[in-house]
Amino acid sequence: MTALSAQRITMRFGGLVAVQDVSFEVERHQIYAVIGPNGAGKTTLFNAITGIYEPTSGVVRFADRVVCAKFSSRVALRMCVATILCALSTVFAVNIQELWQLAIVDNYVYAQPFPWSEGVSDFVRAFADLFGTSGVITALAGALAGGGAAGVLWWRSRRTPDLIARSGVARTFQNIRLFNELSLVQNVLVGMDHRMRAGFWSALFRLPRFHAERKHFHAEAMELLEFVGLADRVHEAAGSLPYGFRRRLEIARALAGKPALLLLDEPAAGMNPSEIVGLMTLIRRVRDAGTTVVLIEHHMRLVMGVSDRILVLQYGRQIAEGTPAEIRANPACVEAYLGTETHG
Amino acid sequence: MRWRPGPIVCIVGIAAILPLVELVLPPAAHVSEAVRGVFLYAILALGLNIVTGYAGLLNLGIAAFMAIGAYGFAILTCEIYPFQVGFWPGILLTLPIGALAGFLLGAPTLRLRGDYLAIVTLGFGEIVQDVLKNLEVVTKGTQGINPVPAPAIGGTMWTADDEYKWYYLFLALLVVVIVAIRNLERSRLGRAWFSIREDELASRAMGIRVERIKMLAFSAAAALAAFAGGLSASVLSSTGEPSNYDFQVSILALCIVIVGGIGSIAGVLVGALVMIGLNSIVLVKATAALEALGIGGSANVLLSPNNWKYLIFGLALVLAVRLKPNGLVPPRIERRAT
Repeated sequence: MTALSAQRITMRFGGLVAVQDVSFEVERHQIYAVIGPNGAGKTTLFNAITGIYEPTSGVVRFADRVVCAKFSSRVALRMCVATILCALSTVFAVNIQELWQLAIVDNYVYAQPFPWSEGVSDFVRAFADLFGTSGVITALAGALAGGGAAGVLWWRSRRTPDLIARSGVARTFQNIRLFNELSLVQNVLVGMDHRMRAGFWSALFRLPRFHAERKHFHAEAMELLEFVGLADRVHEAAGSLPYGFRRRLEIARALAGKPALLLLDEPAAGMNPSEIVGLMTLIRRVRDAGTTVVLIEHHMRLVMGVSDRILVLQYGRQIAEGTPAEIRANPACVEAYLGTETHG
Repeated sequence: MRWRPGPIVCIVGIAAILPLVELVLPPAAHVSEAVRGVFLYAILALGLNIVTGYAGLLNLGIAAFMAIGAYGFAILTCEIYPFQVGFWPGILLTLPIGALAGFLLGAPTLRLRGDYLAIVTLGFGEIVQDVLKNLEVVTKGTQGINPVPAPAIGGTMWTADDEYKWYYLFLALLVVVIVAIRNLERSRLGRAWFSIREDELASRAMGIRVERIKMLAFSAAAALAAFAGGLSASVLSSTGEPSNYDFQVSILALCIVIVGGIGSIAGVLVGALVMIGLNSIVLVKATAALEALGIGGSANVLLSPNNWKYLIFGLALVLAVRLKPNGLVPPRIERRAT
């Protein structure tokens, strides 16, 4: 079974083709590496996979499924409700002075009890009368705005990064993007957010559900920080961590959502050799815990050491794909990284 | 570990015994009426702090929501309208009214970034004033709506003379608001707000539904501002004219948050005390003192410190940004399990 399959992904920015016709498949429980010189389109590929960009063409499947909010009956219902509500409230808002006059001012005598039935029936009659005249145009405009807005909102939210993250795909960033002013635990807890169920009201009134959930996830966050070796600084601000630890925290935050697929963008950048050995162990442990890992990396010893398969990109095209041994023996890959040999 | 009261508990504690201290002081030294205004502005600024401090969205139109709350409360309770729901239902209804107004403004605009959102909220503040001014059949235009009822705890309806009743009512409501905000701050929602402020893209990639979380911040802020608006209409027994809720009020609330400490509840309380305290205690007492000495007087514009308030607000803002960019009481990294 494949954890991730990308078919003929093309990513174009105006005239620039950053990724062209890239296809690959990642089996479950594999460690898969994407390599290539700077500017080869590796990070762009990641962004297209995680929904930060919408690929110009091509299909991405996670566990044989295309993650996309379909046009369901719920979306249709929402659009209908938005259309009707907007139409009515536009008419109401535009004519509020007349309606108020007819329904309330004309019926209310100061300090006398208000005749509610008359008020309501006057209001309904006046409101209905509007639709015989100018109200129709107002209502149409409101309906168009409401229905259109609901449609646009749905269209734009079909394939967003949060939807993809919720379906079990987590990632880290090349230029580490932690929440610097939050503590380490809080960073990890943000990664767990989409697994939490207690909402606004249970937080506001501190219902038992809130406390139970808080305890559960806090314990899990501590475990996770221990897993990546940060257990002794859990309450420090993430921004105060040294570089190598930040990478680890970012991996912990990504793992917090219990992803089936983890994308790591240059996890070893800026690490010293001993940190890299630690990172290799960590990546293997993540894989052994049941997560498929895809990583972008320049560090050849790490890539060759941990990967099951490797994809090589150059100028946005894929020039090779195979096991580490195959890649090492492929002259095109060697050339892409080291340049052509010249005799003379 | 021994329990030590935090800054919020200290502030509220001092505020609670202030009227008792006043009993032994001469009337000229009484400040509780001005402190009541501090409470009101603290509620408003705590609302603004949710949207600007926690979620990092600059809102320059918070006074508009205060106006919506004040007018909503007045229409629901005033005897010149048929609804007359009474003080408590009315003041509680300002919360959903404000939240709805926040939703209506937020839904189409929250996808805008940074400065653009600020411009939209600024415009919204102006539009609301104009609508209230021109919708004369409903809002009585520039007259404002009065009389707006006061609560009637203990039989008769309170008047402006029941100074200490108002004082403790506002203090109690402020405490409720503080507790509610703390509960939200230390929850999944609060964390999501902070994460959006820190890095929107990263929180999106972690599965946070950014639009929804921003909308909650916007609506919660609007609800609190509307609540403050309802209270202010009640204590003044009138909504006042629409221009009472102009840009100056929004900016004053923003100054409170910035001077006190963006994203910090204790900071906002201190900020409200400093800014409103300067305005309604120090400047007023200074004016009175100068007049008593025969130096000032209302005829002399320069020598009545009452007129200095915008100068002083501006100065406080410049000094705060220059010397204490994180505010007088900056927020702390949470060390407890949240």
